[in-house]
Amino acid sequence: MNEISGLTMLWIAFPFLMGFGIYLLPQADRVLSISLTICSAIYALGILQMPEPLSLSLLDNFGVTLLVDNLSIFFILTNALVSTAVIIYSWHTSKTAFFYTQLAILHGSLNSAFICADFVSLYVALEVIGIAAFLLIAYPRQNRSLWVALRYLFISNTAMLFYLIGAILIYQAHQSFAFAGLANAPLEAKALILIGLLVKGGIFVSGLWLPFTHAEAESPVSALLSGVVVKAGVFPLVRCALMVDDLALVLGWLGVVAALLGVLYGLFEQDSKRVLACSTLSQAGWILAAPAAAGPYALAHGVAKAALFLGVGNLPSRHLPTLRQRAIDPSLWVPILLGSLSISGFPLLLGFSSKMLTLKAVSSWQTWVLNLAAVGTAVLYANFIFLSCRQDPESKQALVKNPGLKLALGLLIAALIILNWVYLPQTFSGFNTLKATILMVTGWLLWWQGVSRIQWPFPKVMEQFEHLIGGMVVMLAVVLFITIMWTNTALETPLWRVFS
Amino acid sequence: MELGGSTILYACVYATILMGFLGIIFKENLVMKIIAMDVMSTGVVALFVLVAARTGVRTPILTASPLTPYADPVPQAVILTAIVIGFSIQALMLVGVMKLAKDNPTLEIRAIEEEYRP
Repeated sequence: MNEISGLTMLWIAFPFLMGFGIYLLPQADRVLSISLTICSAIYALGILQMPEPLSLSLLDNFGVTLLVDNLSIFFILTNALVSTAVIIYSWHTSKTAFFYTQLAILHGSLNSAFICADFVSLYVALEVIGIAAFLLIAYPRQNRSLWVALRYLFISNTAMLFYLIGAILIYQAHQSFAFAGLANAPLEAKALILIGLLVKGGIFVSGLWLPFTHAEAESPVSALLSGVVVKAGVFPLVRCALMVDDLALVLGWLGVVAALLGVLYGLFEQDSKRVLACSTLSQAGWILAAPAAAGPYALAHGVAKAALFLGVGNLPSRHLPTLRQRAIDPSLWVPILLGSLSISGFPLLLGFSSKMLTLKAVSSWQTWVLNLAAVGTAVLYANFIFLSCRQDPESKQALVKNPGLKLALGLLIAALIILNWVYLPQTFSGFNTLKATILMVTGWLLWWQGVSRIQWPFPKVMEQFEHLIGGMVVMLAVVLFITIMWTNTALETPLWRVFS
Repeated sequence: MELGGSTILYACVYATILMGFLGIIFKENLVMKIIAMDVMSTGVVALFVLVAARTGVRTPILTASPLTPYADPVPQAVILTAIVIGFSIQALMLVGVMKLAKDNPTLEIRAIEEEYRP
């Protein structure tokens, strides 16, 4: 057991050491950073062999507590796969050592967010993630990208201040910052912690900062943001939902509504990268809706979304009606098609298995709403599936210019196909296949019949900076309301039972 | 609840947090918003210190003198980390604002949002 804990410590410290190492040895930046992500993948697969979760408590009772269980492994694996793909993609571009340093630090802080088991270590991890993501978004050094990054950091830091207030209230009640303290914590402490994490994870109204940030960043950075960084906020929510029952109720509710909101928001978009970002908003809700099946879903979404951002970011235009007018080269079209099919839930790809596991784990009313969201997802991705595919030298340019693109896409798509075989025995049945197909085809028909012709610009008022900050208070009220309505932590009997 | 010294202190601390938050929403200048965020985080730091002082106000150092009620060192240690993080984020944001100010000298958030809208 001791060897494994030593190894875990080494694995957590490694990316940070390497991050600075890259600065000392800028010639080896790519090799060093890719060795990190490969180490993470090996570590995750190694821990998978362990019979029971690894729990570490460092520096006495008040120190850092870590917990590596099955759930963490899925998130660590997602992180490893997406980071590797992004490094391969950037291999032949002119990115400097600074970029790879930030990549290494982001990778390390994400890993630590995925294994920590107390609110303070999580706070530190999330803030480091915020800073590293800020520097990556601002990497092009243009004023526009600087504003996108600044807005992201401001919103996430304000959310983390709410989180800190919640953390100290929990400490006041339990003399400890451990996640387990959430069970009997005061109502306001729970709500404040949730707000911080909901904003970081891009759930429901508090996640509306996400479309602008994810769409305006460079493609490899978008892939990282949508693929893993958002999951650093969702992961602690899932872990808390698995530990505390009332929380599972509130988050199940929010997750389902968020899944629907993201899809509705994306329906009216004309911009390809914004469609992808809105879909992230919806998929984060899916992950949260069924905490028991969150691991596979996060993995499926992260890998497919990263592939889509890398692929779509290299199309000749971002405007969807323009894209429909022209042909896309098969070498770029096929990966985009497979990524889209996976998220839509096509059998034979990982998205199918994870979707079926999620639908099996939720309660019956949630199933109905989630089915609706699945149809909506199919509508969104029909935008990419029905692009015309023909030999086209212009759209092939991106692949010729950057040989890393093909390799990165290949890695991600191969992961989607291979990992699916692990789950297929559990999820493959005639009924499930039929259901997934019907959901998808319904979405495509809807798209073909009307959605593709909608030209109405959806108002973006809610995405203004001040509204996003004010939205946090609205969410605070919503969370408090749901908790009081449906659970009896604050009142002896739940309110809905009093009224009925 | 009686209106003792600690209740008033809690009220002041929460008022600081609220004031900072309202400042983030209502101030129109980007630099003022960042300062408002600093006010809010000062409030949060004060809250940690106040919670730590619940058990006593002495510095928790083991000495030969008789035991006196001492402050809880854990929240203080934690908030020290948070102060460092908060300060570095603030520094980063101000550097970003300095660069933005070259093109948007007024730093009015509405004008900036208008300019960089997709």
